[in-house]
Amino acid sequence: MTLPRRSPLLPMLVVAAVAALLYLPLMVWANYGPAARTLASGAELECRTALACATQLRNPVLPSPGQLAGGFRALSVPLTSPLSAPYNAVVTGGETLLGLALGAVVGLALAVLLVASRSFERATLPWLVASQTVPIVAIAPMLAVLLGQYGVQGFLPKAIIAAFIAFFPVAVGMSRGLRSPDALQLDLMRTYSASGSQTFRLLRFPASVPYLFTALKVAATAALVGSIVAEISTISFSGLGKMLAENSRASDTIALWVIMVYGAVLGVTLVGLVGLAERLVTPWKVRA
Amino acid sequence: MTGGTVSVPARTPGRAASVGTLALAVAMAGLLGACLLLARQPQPTSPAAWLLGVLALLVLGGVGVRSAAQGESRAARTLPAVFTLLLGVLGAEALLRAYAVPAGLIPTPSLVLRALWNARTVLLQDTLYTFGLEGLLGFLLGTLAGLLLALVVVRFRFLELGLLPYAALFSSIPIVALAPVIVKAVGLEWPSKTLVVAVTVLFPVVVGAVRGLQSAQPLHLDLMHTYAAAPAQTFREVRVPSALPFVFGALKVGSTLALISAIVAEFFGTDGHGLGFRIQIEVGRFNLDIVWAAIVLSSVVGIAFFSAVGLLERRLVTGAPGRDA
Repeated sequence: MTLPRRSPLLPMLVVAAVAALLYLPLMVWANYGPAARTLASGAELECRTALACATQLRNPVLPSPGQLAGGFRALSVPLTSPLSAPYNAVVTGGETLLGLALGAVVGLALAVLLVASRSFERATLPWLVASQTVPIVAIAPMLAVLLGQYGVQGFLPKAIIAAFIAFFPVAVGMSRGLRSPDALQLDLMRTYSASGSQTFRLLRFPASVPYLFTALKVAATAALVGSIVAEISTISFSGLGKMLAENSRASDTIALWVIMVYGAVLGVTLVGLVGLAERLVTPWKVRA
Repeated sequence: MTGGTVSVPARTPGRAASVGTLALAVAMAGLLGACLLLARQPQPTSPAAWLLGVLALLVLGGVGVRSAAQGESRAARTLPAVFTLLLGVLGAEALLRAYAVPAGLIPTPSLVLRALWNARTVLLQDTLYTFGLEGLLGFLLGTLAGLLLALVVVRFRFLELGLLPYAALFSSIPIVALAPVIVKAVGLEWPSKTLVVAVTVLFPVVVGAVRGLQSAQPLHLDLMHTYAAAPAQTFREVRVPSALPFVFGALKVGSTLALISAIVAEFFGTDGHGLGFRIQIEVGRFNLDIVWAAIVLSSVVGIAFFSAVGLLERRLVTGAPGRDA
């Protein structure tokens, strides 16, 4: 990029303002029908017209800003309560980080094997892809029971399920990174009569660092999905997934929105952490 | 991209290959024999001995698979994966029987196969519903919307600065957290799941396509400029080809995510169709053989979909990373 860099702050604010302005009519439009039906059913409501009720439904299709703010207040204080969303977000975040670390180690090992041995690649790659299409919702409870039999309980089963989703992006990204040195560079290593492990250490690993971090960012989001799903489908007492499952059963739409926002913040934070690690590891790289 | 593996001379097929075939045959026959022996013996006495035997046979089979993967023939590219699956399934069957694991915990592969056959009509309908209506349609919608959005974003620098950070932000939102909200808002029928899939696919595509469209080499763009090429020509000849690898990278991620997010979204409510619904119901009834049958089906469809996207990539992208995942 030779263009002078411009701050994205103003455009981002404008886009956010436009989105907020569009949200209000959308919200009223989406809630008008249910509000009218609720009124017609003769329910006791504090509002008179369907238009006024659109912002006060107990189960809105889209919650009004006031309702969202109320939901945030209800779910966020006190911070350390086991029922508050921030506390549960921290629990889920911890599981995710542990899972991400596990998944990264497994993914790294697989990537090295995939690049080092073509027969390994041919024998396993289709099944690595297949492992990603396995609906984790279904195997999560089974895995939890199975691990529970061997005394693995609490934090770890969820981290393992998160790792199960996270290893694949790392394996794919890393194998691409390990293959990124071109034929010329590989030939040079050969003229130096470098051994296979030397080629890995001196050429392939350094070349794969940018790929690793890109993959880790994808894997962080995936691991978060994994730990939330694990919380939904196993017996758990804390975490955003448990809150989602409970509030989905109770049809508390506003709480679902609040938890979704917390999940989003958590996802962004985790990706941000990976980005921070990338900056620390490759300080020389020019950021786009 | 074939890097270091290009100039390795193919081993002469001869003694090594026949030894490999022999190892593979012995391993398969041994595992099959073990399964049959165990079938006659409901409570095996010493599982540890069986475990050692099965592991030894699996190692032998691994040697066989390794030699089967030599060379560049079509068989060498496809058969190793098939053999790996067969060995894995037979090994699992033997071990589950040796340790007498109850079917309510992990069903043996033979039970799963039988469930797959017995429940085939229901499961096929569910697959069609989940993949066709929800996964594929959502994937296409998300891709289309993502590409259009990317074009608009690249055209207007203001939007690139203002919208793209949000797209990156949204792509790090866990979809499962989105699913219950969308299902509550749109309803229990398939459109809500299609929408979840579309949203899942959308943001990676936007980010990938924008990054790809901007990845065109300044040198190439300058060259097109000196040729006095019209902007549309430059776009077609330079920007689109350089964007395709990035777009396909996003599409591959999306293709594995599409099916799983459809299944996860069904977890939050359906009208009684779909693989996610089936899995959830049958887990509750401890019919784990049907659950695994549904998992097998969804994996088969998922692999087919991923391969189809990969095939399309190889057709469209010049210099595509051929064997790369």
